[in-house]
Amino acid sequence: MTRKRISLLASFFLLVALTAGLLLPISAAGKVKLTVWGIDLPDDDPAHAYAKALVNGFKAKNPDIELDYVALGNDGLKDKVKVCMASNSGLPDIFQSWGGSVMGSYADAGRLLDLTKELKDIKCSEAARQAMTWKGKTYGVAPFFAIAGVFVNEGLFKAHGLKVPTTIDEFEKVCEALKAKGIQPLACGAKDKWPVLAMYMYLVDRFGGINAFADAAARKARFDGEAFVKAAQLYQKWVKAGYFGSKPLGEAYGDAQVLMATGKAGMHVTGSWMCAQYSSKEFTDQTIGFYAFPVLPGGKGKETDIMGMTDIGYAATRVAAGKKDAVVRFMKYAMSVEACSAEPGRICSVPGVKAPSRLTEMAAGVFAKAKAVQFWWDQDLPASVSSPLNDALQNIMMPEADVAKALAQYEELVTEMMGPVKKK
Amino acid sequence: MVETAAGRRNTYFAEIRHYKTQKFIITTILVLLALAVIAPLVLPFCFVFKTQLEYAYDPWGLPKQLRLLNFREAWAAVNILHGLINTFLVCLGAVACTVPTAAMAGYIFARYQNKFTEIVFYMILAGWFVPVQMVLIPLYRFTSQIGLSNTLPGLFLIMCAFGVPFWSMIYRSFFRSLPGELAEAARIDGAGHATTFFRVMLPLANPATALAVLLVFIGSWSDYFLSLIFISDQNLFTMQLRVAQFLNQYGVDRMPRYAAAAIIAAAPTVLLYIIGHRWILQGTLAGALKG
Amino acid sequence: MATDAGIILEYGRTRKKKRDWRGFVFQLLFLFPAVFFLGLFMFYPIEETFRLSLMRASGLGDTVYIGLENYVKLFTNEEFQQGLLHVFAWAFWSVVIQIPLAFFIAFSLIAFKNKLTSKLRAIYYLASIIPSAIVAMLGRFIFSPRNGVISSLAARWNWTWLANIDFFGDSRLAFWTVFAVATWTYIGFYIVYQMANIEQIPVDIYEAALLDGATRWQYARYVVIPMISYPLRICAILCTVGSLKLFDLPWLLTFGGPGYATTTLGIILYKQGFINAMYGRASAIGVIIFLLSLIFTVTQFSLQRKEGEIEW
Repeated sequence: MTRKRISLLASFFLLVALTAGLLLPISAAGKVKLTVWGIDLPDDDPAHAYAKALVNGFKAKNPDIELDYVALGNDGLKDKVKVCMASNSGLPDIFQSWGGSVMGSYADAGRLLDLTKELKDIKCSEAARQAMTWKGKTYGVAPFFAIAGVFVNEGLFKAHGLKVPTTIDEFEKVCEALKAKGIQPLACGAKDKWPVLAMYMYLVDRFGGINAFADAAARKARFDGEAFVKAAQLYQKWVKAGYFGSKPLGEAYGDAQVLMATGKAGMHVTGSWMCAQYSSKEFTDQTIGFYAFPVLPGGKGKETDIMGMTDIGYAATRVAAGKKDAVVRFMKYAMSVEACSAEPGRICSVPGVKAPSRLTEMAAGVFAKAKAVQFWWDQDLPASVSSPLNDALQNIMMPEADVAKALAQYEELVTEMMGPVKKK
Repeated sequence: MVETAAGRRNTYFAEIRHYKTQKFIITTILVLLALAVIAPLVLPFCFVFKTQLEYAYDPWGLPKQLRLLNFREAWAAVNILHGLINTFLVCLGAVACTVPTAAMAGYIFARYQNKFTEIVFYMILAGWFVPVQMVLIPLYRFTSQIGLSNTLPGLFLIMCAFGVPFWSMIYRSFFRSLPGELAEAARIDGAGHATTFFRVMLPLANPATALAVLLVFIGSWSDYFLSLIFISDQNLFTMQLRVAQFLNQYGVDRMPRYAAAAIIAAAPTVLLYIIGHRWILQGTLAGALKG
Repeated sequence: MATDAGIILEYGRTRKKKRDWRGFVFQLLFLFPAVFFLGLFMFYPIEETFRLSLMRASGLGDTVYIGLENYVKLFTNEEFQQGLLHVFAWAFWSVVIQIPLAFFIAFSLIAFKNKLTSKLRAIYYLASIIPSAIVAMLGRFIFSPRNGVISSLAARWNWTWLANIDFFGDSRLAFWTVFAVATWTYIGFYIVYQMANIEQIPVDIYEAALLDGATRWQYARYVVIPMISYPLRICAILCTVGSLKLFDLPWLLTFGGPGYATTTLGIILYKQGFINAMYGRASAIGVIIFLLSLIFTVTQFSLQRKEGEIEW
C-alpha cells in the first residue's frame, strides 16, 4: 500500500514538474527578438505618447525585428531589474534606465553592453550623453533630460501684483506676500521624502557654488560643511515660517501637484517632468510658468548652475551582445526626431525637436542657458548613500529637528561607505 | 443530524433578563463596525465619475455628472480578460499544491507528535519566518537554473512554498482541536493511518480546508510582487500584473482614473468572495457543528 | 458520521507511544511534499541569507567576509533601533487591540446571532481580500492632509482642531494612522479564524454553562476563551511574526517616515537590499527577523505544552 501511495504522490509532483516544461514559452524562430523593459504603457494616454510612438514606430520601421516591449511602471521596473541584475539571469536586452550611479553599479558588475563606439555619432545634448556614460563608456541613450526649477503660478502672481523672484530675498518677500493672501507659498510633497531634495540642491549650490556637492561626493569636503548646513537651516527657517503650509510632512508629491493645479500653492520647486501636466487643460486651469531658481546675493552659486537628470533613458545589457545591431537600431530610433516629437512635455535632448508646449519651451530655455550641470544628487551618489540622504533631508521639514546634527550623521554614514575626507 | 447550534443556543440564552437590550446594543455595535469596514470601499465612487480637475477642487462632493470616461479608459487599458486564464492556472496550481500539502503535514504535526515531527515542524515553519524580499534574489537565481523562472508552474510552486508553512500551522491547530477518540475509534475499527486521515479526520477539518482554499485562491489571485519578479513574458502575465502595469503608471496626478482601474482590479476578487463566502462560511462551519 | 464530535469533553490525549514502522512510513510520506517544496524553494535561499549576512555584498556578485560587522552596525544604527522598537510596539498593540476586538466581533456574531448579524459576518472579511496597494490608496483618501475625507469634512464644518491634525506628518500620530489602516484590513482574518474555532465548541457546553446560570459574557470569559486558547495563541503568533515582517502598508503609506517614525524591520530590509544595494546588511536584518520569529514561536508553543496541553 505504501509503495503505491509513494508512486502516486511522486507521479503527482512529476506531473506538476512536467506541466512546468510544457508551459515554457516558445519563442518565434527566424526573427531577432528584442526585449525591452520600460515604464510607460504604449497606450492612448497623452502622457504615454512617446512610449507609444517609440514602440509602434520601431515595429513599423523594423519588420525584421520582433520587439517585445514590457511596461512595468516605475517601481515594478526598478524591483525587477534589481532582482535580475543581482541574480544575473532573466535580463532583458534593453531596459529603461536613469543612468548615473545605479547604472554605473550594473556596469561595474559587468552586466551592461558597451556601446560607446556605436552611439558616438548620435546627436544629443552633452548632459544627456554624460548621464548615460560611466567611467568613459556609454551604455545607452537619454532622449529626454529633466532639470529642476521653479514652477510659478503666473496667474496668481499677476492677480496679486507679484513679480517672479530672481534673488533669495525677493523669493522670501514673495512667499510672505502669498502667505498673507492665504495662499500656501510653496508646494513640496515631503511625505514621499525625495521631493525635498530638489530645492535643497539649489540652496546648497547658491551658498557653496556648483562644486560644493561635487567636492563632497569626491570626498574632498564634508557633507556637513558650511554650505550644506546653511542651506538646510534656511530651508528649515522657511518651513517654520509656514511657507510649506501647516502640514508639510503629511503632503505627498501628488498632493503638492493638486495644490499647484488648483491655485492653492504659488510655487513648486521640482523637475521639468511636470511640464506636461502643468500645461495640460485637463490637469490644471491655472497658468503656470517655469523659471530658474533664484540666486543668493553674496553666495557662490550662479543662476546658470542647473540640476538635472535623465528623464527617459535606455541602457543595453550583456544579454544583447549577440544582437548589437538591433539594439543600436532601437537606440537610434529612440533618439529620432520622429519618435521624440510625440512627447507632450519633457525636455528633449535631441536637437531639432520642437518644444511641445510653452512650459517646456521655458524649461528648455532655462536649460539652454546652463553653464554648469550637476546631476541630481541621488543619481550621482552611490546607491548605499542616496536614500539615506533623502531620509536625512526630511528632517528639514520638521520644525523641531536639528538639521546640522542630521547632516553630521549623514556625513558619518558617507564616511563609512565612501571613505573619510581626504586631506589635501 | 442535530439541529444547528446557534438555534439551540438562542433558546437557552433567551431566558436571560436584559437580553433584548443587550442584543440591541451589540447588534448596533456590530452594524457600526461593519459600516466602518465598508465605508472606505465606497470612497472611490465619490470621484471616479469626475474629471481630474473636478477631483482636484472637490474630491468628496457628489459628482455633478456621471462620466464613465475613466472607467472606459481604464477598462480598455487594463484589458482584464487578458491574463485571466493565466491567473486561473496559477490560482488552481497554488491551491492544488498548497492545501493538500499543508493538510497532510498539519495532520502529522498534530496527531503524531514526537521529536522527529517536531523538528520537521519547526523546519517547515522556518519558511514562514523569512521575509519575501530577502529570499527573492537567491530564489530567482535558483528557479532560473532549473528552468522554472518565467513559467506559471514556477510561480505557483513558489507561492506554495510561501503558503505551506502558514497553512500547515493552521491545520495543525485545527487537527489538534479535534477529539482524538474519533481517530482512535477508526483505528480500532481496523482503518489504516491513511484511511483514518482521509475518511475521518480530513472531513472534520472542512472549515480549515474551506478557509485555506478560499484564502490561498484569493491570495494568489491578488499576488503582485512574486508575479512581477518571476514572470517576464507578456503572454504569461497574470491579470494582476496587467492591472499593475496600468496602476503603476498613475498616482495622484490622475486619481479618478487610477481609482477606476483599482475598482476594476478589485472587482473580480470581491465578486469571487461574494459568491464564495456562502459556501465557505455557511456550508462548512455549519457542517462542522453537525458532525 | 453520527458521532457528535464535541460531546466528548474530557477525552485526553490518547497518542500511542509505541511507533510501528507503518506509522513511521506514513509520517514520512505525509511530510514529504511539504519538506520537498520547502527544501527546494526555501532552504537554499535561507542558507544564502545566513551566509550573506556575514558578508559585505552589493548583490552584484562581489562579496567580502566581514564577520559580524553587519550586525554590529545595525544595532548601533538609529534607524534600525527605531524599526525594532516599532516592530515590538506594533506586535504588542496588535495583540492587545486587534485580537480582543476580533474576538469580541467573532463571539458576538455567534452569541447574538440574528438575521442582521448573520449577514454581517461576510462583510468583516471583505477588507482582507483587497490588495495592499489599494488598501494604502484608501488609507490616503481618508487621512491625507488637504484632500483627505477627514480634513475636507472637518474644514467644511469648521472643526479646526480636527482639520489641523496631520495624520501622516505628525511623528507621534503617523504610527497610529498606519496601525488603524492595518487593523482595518488585517482584522478580518482573525475574526473568520476565531469564528471557525468558536463554532467548533459543542453546543452541550453552552447548555451546561447556562444551567449554572452564566451570562454570555461569563460564558465567553470562562468557557470560550480557555477553549480557544490555542487558536488565540496562533493569532498572537500571527500578529508577532506579521509585525516582524511588516512592510507593505507602512511603506506604501509613509515610506517609513516622517523621519523614522513608522519604519519597520521589513522596510529597512527592503531599503537596504533593493534601494541601497547593501545586500549583506539586508541579509543580516533577514536573519534577525528570522531568529526573533523563531524565538517567539518556540516560546509560545512550549508555554502551551507546559500548561498541560489544554487545547480544549
